Amino acid sequence: MAERYELKQKEVWDGNMAASHALRQAQVDVVAAYPITPSTPIVQNYAQFLADGYVDGEFVMVESEHSAMSACVGASAAGGRVATATSSQGYALMVEVLYQASGMRLPIVMTVVNRALASPLNIHGDHGDLYLGRDAGWIHLIANNPQEAYDMTLCAFKIAENEKVRLPVTTNQDGFLVSHTAQVVEPLDDDTAYKFIGDYKAMNPMLDTKNPQTYGAQTEEEWHFEFKASQHKALMESPAVIDEVFAEFEKLTGRKYNRVETYKLDDADVALVVMGSAYETAMVAVDKAREEGIKAGLIMPRSFRPFPYNEIAEKLKNVKAVAALDRSAPMGAMGALYNEVSGALAANGQSSIMTNYIYGLGGRDTTAQHILEVIKETEKNAKAGKRVTDLQGFINLRGPKLSFN
Amino acid sequence: MATPKEMMTTWDKIQPGAVLPSFEDPEKKIRSKFNSYNYKVADWRVEKPVFNRDLCIDCDFCWVSCPDSCFIVEEVENKRGKKQAKIVGINYNLCKGCAVCVEVCPTPIKSLLMFPEFVDNDEALKQWPKKD
Amino acid sequence: MKNIGNLKEFACTPDRFQGGHRLCPGCAHGMIVREVVNATDDDLVVSTATGCLEVCSAIYPYTSWDVSWLHIGFENAAAGISGAEAMYKALSRKNKLYNEDRNVKFVAFGGDGGTYDIGFQSLSGATERGHDFLYVCLDNEGYMNTGGQRSSSTPIGAHTTTSPRGRVSYGEKHRKKDLTMIMAAHGAPYVATAVPGSKHWKDLAAKAAKALSTVGPTFINALSPCTTEWKFKPEDTVEIGDLAVETCMFPLYEIEDGHKLTINYRPKNKVPVEEYLSKQGRFSHLFKPENKWLIEEIQKEVDRYWEYLQRREEAGV
Ligand SMILES: Cc1ncc(C[n+]2csc(CCOP(=O)(O)OP(=O)(O)O)c2C)c(N)n1
Ligand code: SF4
Ligand code: SF4
Ligand code: SF4
Ligand SMILES: [Mg+2]
Repeated sequence: MAERYELKQKEVWDGNMAASHALRQAQVDVVAAYPITPSTPIVQNYAQFLADGYVDGEFVMVESEHSAMSACVGASAAGGRVATATSSQGYALMVEVLYQASGMRLPIVMTVVNRALASPLNIHGDHGDLYLGRDAGWIHLIANNPQEAYDMTLCAFKIAENEKVRLPVTTNQDGFLVSHTAQVVEPLDDDTAYKFIGDYKAMNPMLDTKNPQTYGAQTEEEWHFEFKASQHKALMESPAVIDEVFAEFEKLTGRKYNRVETYKLDDADVALVVMGSAYETAMVAVDKAREEGIKAGLIMPRSFRPFPYNEIAEKLKNVKAVAALDRSAPMGAMGALYNEVSGALAANGQSSIMTNYIYGLGGRDTTAQHILEVIKETEKNAKAGKRVTDLQGFINLRGPKLSFN
Repeated sequence: MATPKEMMTTWDKIQPGAVLPSFEDPEKKIRSKFNSYNYKVADWRVEKPVFNRDLCIDCDFCWVSCPDSCFIVEEVENKRGKKQAKIVGINYNLCKGCAVCVEVCPTPIKSLLMFPEFVDNDEALKQWPKKD
Repeated sequence: MKNIGNLKEFACTPDRFQGGHRLCPGCAHGMIVREVVNATDDDLVVSTATGCLEVCSAIYPYTSWDVSWLHIGFENAAAGISGAEAMYKALSRKNKLYNEDRNVKFVAFGGDGGTYDIGFQSLSGATERGHDFLYVCLDNEGYMNTGGQRSSSTPIGAHTTTSPRGRVSYGEKHRKKDLTMIMAAHGAPYVATAVPGSKHWKDLAAKAAKALSTVGPTFINALSPCTTEWKFKPEDTVEIGDLAVETCMFPLYEIEDGHKLTINYRPKNKVPVEEYLSKQGRFSHLFKPENKWLIEEIQKEVDRYWEYLQRREEAGV
């Protein structure tokens, strides 16, 4: 048996340490991982836990992220709890296997410390990696600070392993801004955390060799569509389980999470859609805007996949103008959040005026002041009753104004 | 298409993750309908191997060389009470007619020979070459 | 370790790789796989790289495997099995095994593409990490599942669809990568070569049994003559494999602990390589007058390598 780790009621942890402790408390059977900035400390912390006797599962230091996710697939199909962590280029190298993991319905949990994708190389935070895995068939949860990184990781196991779900889950946190920023985190003690997640429930484990199973069969045109459709359905129906898990977590900790988080949205004319650490910056901006008499609010999908389109549309019902802030290079289109939210509104016959802002690429600072300016621009649309600002703008980009219409 | 009608199902009835159980009853080793043992590749064949028990010396070269696990084996005891295999037939559902078994059969007159698919096995045995 | 007695005993083994798969008639992959999975009485967890074996043995809704089996992708059979093996270790440490009474062994199969080329990193990594598994390369010297393209295992002079013979080309330009030696250089406790078929059946089965009972990563490179892409008649599969051994194009040997080399079969009279080459359509162009020099070169290289193996064995270092 692994040693119990004595934790204080309040710890000062960065996002990486928070995620590491959540993995340890989940008593993961196999962690297979490969280091990459900014998620490297997770791998290192876990190695140290192992070295100090706090982990009795296997820790496989593979030779690449492709092999990390492949070993996770092998381990998960074998029949036990599996987790890993990565960022950026590592995530990109895993992409092929992300689809294979989800297609086999393996409940792997991965902490993604979000970071920009090269080229040009950059080690800082943006959502390029998260967006790359958008269609990979995983559930993607967002954590905006170390406490949330800890909480979401605990919840991730419970969601992934639920027999109605059986899908892999990522928990995302912004590189450096969350992963390397120490804040107060209130952890659960080891026993309570493990009890919350529960024992791993096996489904068709390969290691039950008396009842052999074949994983990864070829399905051509006769079957492939049916399997992808049934997997999609599992994702589309996972909100019920996510809500259930969040409710149970609230009972245990008093910390309430929602698939759609909002801030001062109830009476808002103007809303920003923001995901990740910038959400907290935007809260400050909203407060300032309100001091100046602008009725501004915020909205964020905590589960980026499954995307809560109906809930978002419902919450934006009375909002006049919405700006979606995407932290990823859109490369020839509007940003993902813009597209998802616009689609959600259109589907419900709503016609808030939509605009898109690109911000924070490669770790570029986005301050409350920057966001306040966005709110003010968006308010112009709300007031005019039509779009009078550019369709897509860039925040804190050096040089002449760049925008698209 | 490859799936027989009776195995066609719809998206709401398939096993999550396309996982296939080898056995329906793993304790009793009863293979499931998903086991390719229950699939037929007989129509790949134009010629079939016919087995002549009378000539066979149970060297099992055919058994070990067949890529399609076709040789049906019975476990028997030899004079010294040791278990050994006795070839008792060919599973024609699984045989693709590659003729590897015929090629490796070492008896002076082969104990396995290829015959056109339509020739009945009894008839084939009648046509078997004789020692000269 | 399963005692591989005589063939009469071995043939009592209930098959764990079933027919009804879609490998070509006479495909050596089927012969090799059967021997390997039948060479132990322990339970097996098998992973297989994308390629002919995978594509033909698990076409939904069918599986040819009576053992636990996993296919992930083309380049990660070794990584996948290393994960499964790690899970086995973790669960046994935690007393959570599914069947306490069963021994479980781990095997990965990959084609030469999935082993010499795209999956090499993953194999090298899993071997270096010391996972307890057997990796079997089904070496048919090309990417056959996708229509016979070259790999780094394709021998010099062979026609493939991406190293075609042509008016100014004799086919593949590079010599076959010596993967077996590279695997031995990892310090793996057991590495061997093998061929399918009735003549050397025991060599293969005994090697598989030995590899499976060795603790740590083991590797068998099995030549897998491919009737479809090497262009010979299906019934000749076994003969072609035997000729590869008799000509010393593919000698049978094993290396223990990364250095101790033993030759397992010595042809009484080394057969000229022409015998082997002339039976396969992929080499037919070598017999044109302008390409004859290459046959001589191939012979020289085969002689040199055979000499090298013998000297290494003698040296016993
Ligand atoms: C990442 C990736 N690249 C390419 C392919 C296409 N592909 C599938 S099998 C194969 C060749 C397999 O060759 P080999 O490993 O030698 O096995 P064989 O079919 O010859 O037994 C290729 C190129 C793939 N499936 N995945
Ligand atoms: S013809 Fe081929 S498939 Fe049929 S039994 Fe003989 S070796 Fe097996
Ligand atoms: S190879 Fe011929 S002699 Fe040997 S067991 Fe088969 S049929 Fe009998
Ligand atoms: S192409 Fe070659 S290796 Fe592939 S199934 Fe056919 S004979 Fe076997
Ligand atoms: Mg090949």
